[in-house]
Amino acid sequence: MILDQLILPWLLAWLMVGLGAYLVAVLDRLLATGSARDGSVWLAPLASAAWLMTQQATTTEAPDAPAWRLAPALYLALAATGLALVPWSPTLVGVDLATSLVLWGSLEALATVVIFLHGWSANAHLALIGAYRYVALGLSYLLISMFVLIGVALPAESLRLTEVVAAQTSLWHVVSQPLGLPLFLMVGLGLTFWGPLDLADSTDLSGGTAVERSGPPRLVWALARAAMLVAFSAIAATAFLGGWLGPWLPGPAWLLIKSLAVLVALLWLGRRLPRFAPERCVTLMWVVLLPLSFIDLIWAGAVALWMA
Amino acid sequence: MALLTLTTVLMATLGLGWLLQWLPARGQPKPTYPQRAPFLGGGSPDTHAWNRYHIRYYPMTLLLIAFEMEMMFMYPWAVVFVEKGAMAVMEMGMFLAILSVGIVYAWREGVFRWQ
Repeated sequence: MILDQLILPWLLAWLMVGLGAYLVAVLDRLLATGSARDGSVWLAPLASAAWLMTQQATTTEAPDAPAWRLAPALYLALAATGLALVPWSPTLVGVDLATSLVLWGSLEALATVVIFLHGWSANAHLALIGAYRYVALGLSYLLISMFVLIGVALPAESLRLTEVVAAQTSLWHVVSQPLGLPLFLMVGLGLTFWGPLDLADSTDLSGGTAVERSGPPRLVWALARAAMLVAFSAIAATAFLGGWLGPWLPGPAWLLIKSLAVLVALLWLGRRLPRFAPERCVTLMWVVLLPLSFIDLIWAGAVALWMA
Repeated sequence: MALLTLTTVLMATLGLGWLLQWLPARGQPKPTYPQRAPFLGGGSPDTHAWNRYHIRYYPMTLLLIAFEMEMMFMYPWAVVFVEKGAMAVMEMGMFLAILSVGIVYAWREGVFRWQ
């Protein structure tokens, strides 16, 4: 009982955090250079992680030191908690919570707090600008995420992720709710401030919330961001691509393949789309994407009633 | 039990993240004062960053609160949706329609322009 209910979720979550973050670094490099001709592509992330571990951790003149330490660790903890919710097969589930969709939503909301805290606690101007920008973005994508996830819960008549997967046995939600996955991918880019939605740690702020970060804390921050991208991919694969469902292969293998597909799509979008202007981002989210998520919800409701 | 497990995952990972930051850097001397000046692209800061700051987008955050309250009703609504059928559609449709008027009004007032 201790083994399946306490140790197993830990193992699943930490394994995915470690392997997933490594994979994010490798895949992003492959997508950026277009080929693996640089032989060190597998070793490069490990080398730069080891290098960061040995570097000095700089500080600012008057930071909020405990909060500054807390922010990267808490972001990592949110990602691990999200990964613990993912169902790998009908029986292999980290934590089979009756309200796992609600909990994932609360992790997304808490991420906004943590990312703001990371920028705020440095007591540096550029970091704080990144933090304020992120709050504008974070409060805008939150509603889109909620509506899209509620749409997924409707046919399942449950907020439990395992039942959301079970409801997709006849048809995956990526087909029955065509607007859902594209909108949710935008949420994923926002949640990890990746690529086009990298407003918090962008280069025009010379690194934004992480501008004053070096050494081990910088490594933990990068690790947490990559782990959150992995957690998001796994949740997206569960909610829209039928999770463990699929022929021939066992359930966990299907979930891995689907999560990897979402992850590659996100990293590819991150490399291909230009960064949005922060002030246009809010308009885009509220005026274009939020009404689209209403349509997605109405569509999901109509389909759920028609199929019931 | 499920919530307890999740709490332990959260706390253990929090501890791991903290240890990864603290262990390698524990013996390091504090950086010198010039090194600790916040980066400003060559300029030197003459104020704290924690100053009064006008968050131009604050009306948008108020609009968000209205919708977040709505989400609270939406979670239980999602569970009984198929069972209640058309009645649930009408109820939530009315609620969303009223809130959407708020978005249109805020849009007209320039809340999302953030300038």
